[in-house]
Amino acid sequence: MPNDLQVFVPAPDRPAPLDSTGVVGWIRKNLFQDIPNTLMTILGAYILFVVVGAVLNWAIFNAVWSANSRRECLDAVGRSGACWPGVFVWFENLIYGLYPKDQVWRINVGFLALVLWMVPLWMPRVVSKVAIGLSAVALYPLLASYFFLGGDKGIIWTALIAAGLTGLIWVWATALSETFKGKTIGVLVVDSLGQADADEARQRLTRRLATLAVFIVACLIISSLSFVEVRTRFWGGLFLTLVISGIGITFSLPAGIMLALGRRSNLPVIAMFSTLFIELFRSVPLVTILFMFNTMLPLFMPAGTEVNQLLRAIVAVCLFAAAYMAEIIRGGLQAIPKGQYEAADALGLTYWQTTSQVVLPQALKIMIPAIVGNFIGLFKDTTLVSIIGLFDLMNMARAIGEDTNWLGLFIEPFFVVSMIYFVFCFAMSSYSIGLEKKLAAGRDR
Amino acid sequence: MAITETGRNSDARSRFSRALYDARIRAIVLQVLTFVLVVGTLIWLTNNTMVNLQARNMSADFGFLDVSAGFGIGFTLIPYQEGDTYLRVFFVGIMNTLLVAVVAIVFATILGLIVGLARLSNNWIIGVVARSYIEVMRNTPLLLQIIAWYFGVFNLLPRPRDSVEILNGLVLNNRGFYLPAPVPETGFAILMWVLLTSVIGAIALHIWAGRRLEKTGKAFPSILSGIAIVIVVPTLAYAFLGQPLSWDVPVLQGFNYVGGMSVPPSFCALIVALSVYTSCFIAEIVRSGIQSVSKGQLEAAGALNLPANWTLRRVVLPQAMRVIIPPLISQYLNVTKNSSLAIAIGFPDLVSVWMNTSLNQSGRAIPIVAMTMGFYCAVSLSVSAIMNVYNKRVQLKER
Repeated sequence: MPNDLQVFVPAPDRPAPLDSTGVVGWIRKNLFQDIPNTLMTILGAYILFVVVGAVLNWAIFNAVWSANSRRECLDAVGRSGACWPGVFVWFENLIYGLYPKDQVWRINVGFLALVLWMVPLWMPRVVSKVAIGLSAVALYPLLASYFFLGGDKGIIWTALIAAGLTGLIWVWATALSETFKGKTIGVLVVDSLGQADADEARQRLTRRLATLAVFIVACLIISSLSFVEVRTRFWGGLFLTLVISGIGITFSLPAGIMLALGRRSNLPVIAMFSTLFIELFRSVPLVTILFMFNTMLPLFMPAGTEVNQLLRAIVAVCLFAAAYMAEIIRGGLQAIPKGQYEAADALGLTYWQTTSQVVLPQALKIMIPAIVGNFIGLFKDTTLVSIIGLFDLMNMARAIGEDTNWLGLFIEPFFVVSMIYFVFCFAMSSYSIGLEKKLAAGRDR
Repeated sequence: MAITETGRNSDARSRFSRALYDARIRAIVLQVLTFVLVVGTLIWLTNNTMVNLQARNMSADFGFLDVSAGFGIGFTLIPYQEGDTYLRVFFVGIMNTLLVAVVAIVFATILGLIVGLARLSNNWIIGVVARSYIEVMRNTPLLLQIIAWYFGVFNLLPRPRDSVEILNGLVLNNRGFYLPAPVPETGFAILMWVLLTSVIGAIALHIWAGRRLEKTGKAFPSILSGIAIVIVVPTLAYAFLGQPLSWDVPVLQGFNYVGGMSVPPSFCALIVALSVYTSCFIAEIVRSGIQSVSKGQLEAAGALNLPANWTLRRVVLPQAMRVIIPPLISQYLNVTKNSSLAIAIGFPDLVSVWMNTSLNQSGRAIPIVAMTMGFYCAVSLSVSAIMNVYNKRVQLKER
């Protein structure tokens, strides 16, 4: 083989012109490509400048930070600056409503428990995330209800609350054992009690006894607690908003799944009732449903039943949300290719096996953005309960402007409250976009 | 022997379990159970309601509709006086709801289109402005926006004497928004007929031009000439008939404006908030519709050397519209439903005037709730029926 083989060596690429790469290039391409584009840039910058400038001036530079009444604010800066002291004075009410001040810690502990419950969902080595999520939906409300409501608890309610506490203990036992030992809590308990070689039935008995022991301890803890009753008419502010939307969200998903399955069922009676329910609740505004339940629920119940107003609102919100959720899930069900059903049939799976193991996981996954969108809508819609007289976050903000000291102070509280709503909704939608990308990464590999 | 016996035995035993696992029998049992459960609950609720109504001396009939309502309504489209019947109140409410819905839909569509296109702009800063607008407005509750516009803006406007005059005759103050009212004079009816005829003529021309284009390939500028017809012919008629239309401009008299048309501040707040809120959703719909047209379509149009406006009109829009229209209509329905939030700021829409005031006055909860829900159901069911027909028409014809 000749050694002097000529190898073609291309001349090195010339670098791209300086003004088409890097920061300069980006600016040229995106801001000053041609004359119309430049004009647009100027217009956009002007809008940004005016809006951001006006908001900053009003909210920070011209604002009054300490005063005793709105009069003082108006005397100081007129309408050119915000009057924050009114919001500061009322801030606790915006968050907790009229909940007694010395009991507010119960709300904090209640929500802390929820955070504790959810933390394992983000721990990387935890395997039983579905079970933890389900337990948060099914058991957490039992625990929280006592912290929020308080009052006398009979034996049954004590047992239920203790079940909630047991759930929390189980979640953390699971999380710790899976993180550090790498096995589920059941296996860990059996092993550490020296039952690793025992037969299946004995192991199961051991696990049950362990659960029972924890439950009994939980019962003892719960029965030693006694909280003052706080009636729901003292509930308000962000706390009430979170309670209503939390219950609505927790209820709407399972109810929506059942309704969607019902609507697609090939049993005509069930399909008809589901369709009727969904169409009725979707075609009327939430306000009318709230009004209907507010005026008619006392009529529907047997004479003499007291239906508290919060409960009426919650029932209305739940049914409304379930109908919307049903249509979203139906969309997901329809997107599942027929082959999936046929494959499940070929394997001899029953209807419920097909639904829960094959169809629903896929349907829920593709509908995640829409489901979260619905949750966001529900969270915003809870403001409507103010129309039937509940003091949720928004109504609390409005009440500030009716306080004699702060008469007419509307914009500032609304500004703060909108920021709270914005943070919640934006966080939810960003999380859903992230989740969607994560799931799509698995699919598009 | 033993084998046959066992066989027979299991036969007898399994007759029950076979029935239990028979899909047909299960279906029937399940449906009967559901039916009994649902109907039973309904009967129970009705029964409770009857007992409760009797105990409270209330009735559930529609007889009250002919009775005089005896309260005034601040803003009505159809003539209404304090002594008019409840049925009239119902229609006043419907008209007000529809007015809010239609006006808000028009503004929301225009605003949404602009923001949606701005969101697609290849100018970075315009994209950022549009995106921030959308994110901020759609992530705050509509009711909060309505109330903030009402208490924070329209209620704080100056008194009539120091009104903001936008243009001659367009006046904004804390009593509402005043604008000139058209006053028809003799010959106005003829003008309307001329206008109608020219619109029909323009549409006919457009259809004819379309047919000719399909047959012969010869284009005719039907849209431009149509617009010309609709503008020129009525203008000529207007001049020829001696200008049969004058404007009643609102003027300040004493402490208030008189003349012209006016809408209350609550209406303005409702329209602004509804339009802004809905425009965010419309903008996203427009954006996703236009992005749904695949790049290959544009490249193919370029390869055929189609002019830019043809590419837009004949290639992009027809395909984008198929994606845009269904969610757009559902947003329109949402606007109609959301207009019921008027009650929070006291605008007399259907819910406020009928489900609130009339219900409290007459105590006929059941007929009133039923009529309100009936109205909203009728609107949304008829719109979705139309939508189904439309969807069938524009569906991709797969060959």
